Parts: sequence; C-alpha cells; structure tokens
Amino acid sequence: MKIASHLDKFRRLDATLRRLDPGNDQELWIWSAMNAGVHLLNAALHASGATTESDSFHSQVEGVYAVPDRKTGTLHDAMHAPGDVMHVGQPPLGAALPATLERASIALRTIEDLRERFVRGSERADASLQREWRNAYAACVRELLAFLDSSERER
Amino acid sequence: MNAGAHRAKADAIEQSLARCTTADYETVIEACMLAGTHWFNVALHATELLPVDHDAMHAEFLTVGQRRRIACVLPAALAALDAIESLRTPYVRGDLPGGARAAERALDSLAELKRAAMHASAR
Repeated sequence: MKIASHLDKFRRLDATLRRLDPGNDQELWIWSAMNAGVHLLNAALHASGATTESDSFHSQVEGVYAVPDRKTGTLHDAMHAPGDVMHVGQPPLGAALPATLERASIALRTIEDLRERFVRGSERADASLQREWRNAYAACVRELLAFLDSSERER
Repeated sequence: MNAGAHRAKADAIEQSLARCTTADYETVIEACMLAGTHWFNVALHATELLPVDHDAMHAEFLTVGQRRRIACVLPAALAALDAIESLRTPYVRGDLPGGARAAERALDSLAELKRAAMHASAR
C-alpha cells in the first residue's frame, strides 16, 4: 500500500487503541497495537527503500497480494516482491535494515508474540506485563516515527 | 480449548468491541474475526466436527475435507466466518473505500456465528 495510506491507517488504529486498556481489553488491545505497528512499519520500510510502496494489500497468505481495480473495487491475487509485510519478517526481506527499523521490529515482534498466549489462549496479564506491552508499543512507534521524520527531512 | 473458555474469550472481546463504532472499522472487523472464531470453535466442538484439543484458527486454512464436513453441518457459520475473513485484506490491511459498511457486515456475520454456537451447544 502507499505510505500515505499506511500512515492514515496507523493514526486511526492508534486513536482506537487509546480507548482500549491492555488489562480490560487485553485481546483487542494486543491486536490493535499489532495492526497499528505493522502499518507504521510498512510505511517506514517503504520510506527506507527496503520494500516498495505499491497499490496492493498483503493477503493472509505470505507473499500473496490483493491488487485492487480502483474503478470496480474488485481485487485480484498477485505475487510480487514486497510490497507490504504481513508481520515482522513475513515475508522475509533480503537486505539488512537500518538500526532504527531493526529496533522497532524487535519491539513490534514482542507484541506479535503475545497472540498465542494472550489472544487465542486464556492467559491474563498482570499490571507489570501490561506495562511492558505499553512500553514495547511506545518504543516501536517512537522509533518508526523518528525514522519517518528523518526520511521526510532528507527528501 | 474447551467450550467454556471459548465463550469467555468471545464475551471478553465483544465487551471491548462495544467500545468501538463502525467508524473504527479496522478494529471492528478484527474484533469480529477474533470473537467469531471463538464462537466458531464452540460450534465445532459441540457438533464434534473438531475435538476440544484442536481449534480452528482461520476458516481459510481449514483443509478441504474439514471445510466440506463443516459445510454439511454448520453452513451458515462457515459462510459467516469466511465473510469476516474476506474483509480483512481490503479494509484492514488495505484501503478500499466503504470501511464502515464493511464493519456492519462483519457485525452481522458475528451475530450469525454466535447464533450458530448457541444453537449447536443447545442440541
């Protein structure tokens, strides 16, 4: 997807996330933080040149993209080089990333790795864990926004 | 995961969903997918289509054989989960216009999944 669309999605998801609580809304908080982070990561990856911004959306199948026909609103599947990532490392990217993006990816993966235990599974997080999750999300967003800001200034 | 645990997860996600409106369509669609999948598993376990130690994660990734069996017993539930999952690529990962309407369709499909789970459990 285009950088501007990723940023718009990030802002919308981040605004929704502010109405959710990682304790009371554990499942949806984790999921929304992950989705917000992935959109922001995609914007930064495109800006860095590690991936290409294109008018296609990642599907549920790694490496398969849905390409919209903007006149009809229909989609068709296509395989092409990234493009958007579905999650950190999916699909894997060949080149090394700038250090800022590596740090952001590690923080985002912390959120992504919560899915099995805390979204699909029955574990509940205590206040300490919830604080760690908030910190991971904040670190991910801080790194990515700083990278995007510096990229914008260099253009 | 047993049926009681799936119900508890679905209920918790629906409580969080109540904090959103269709203007938050990405989050609504995802919440419907998460809660709907738990209701789907309640129905699958109640009808013994899948054992409690084998949960379905995405309808899209069920085997062809599993989908054919489920379509015989729970056709509306399978169609509803397929419908929700089909909204994720264009409206959550993608930026097709009409997200709020898509969220309404996801909510309708979630209600269908919940009905199917309640009906299957009552049999």
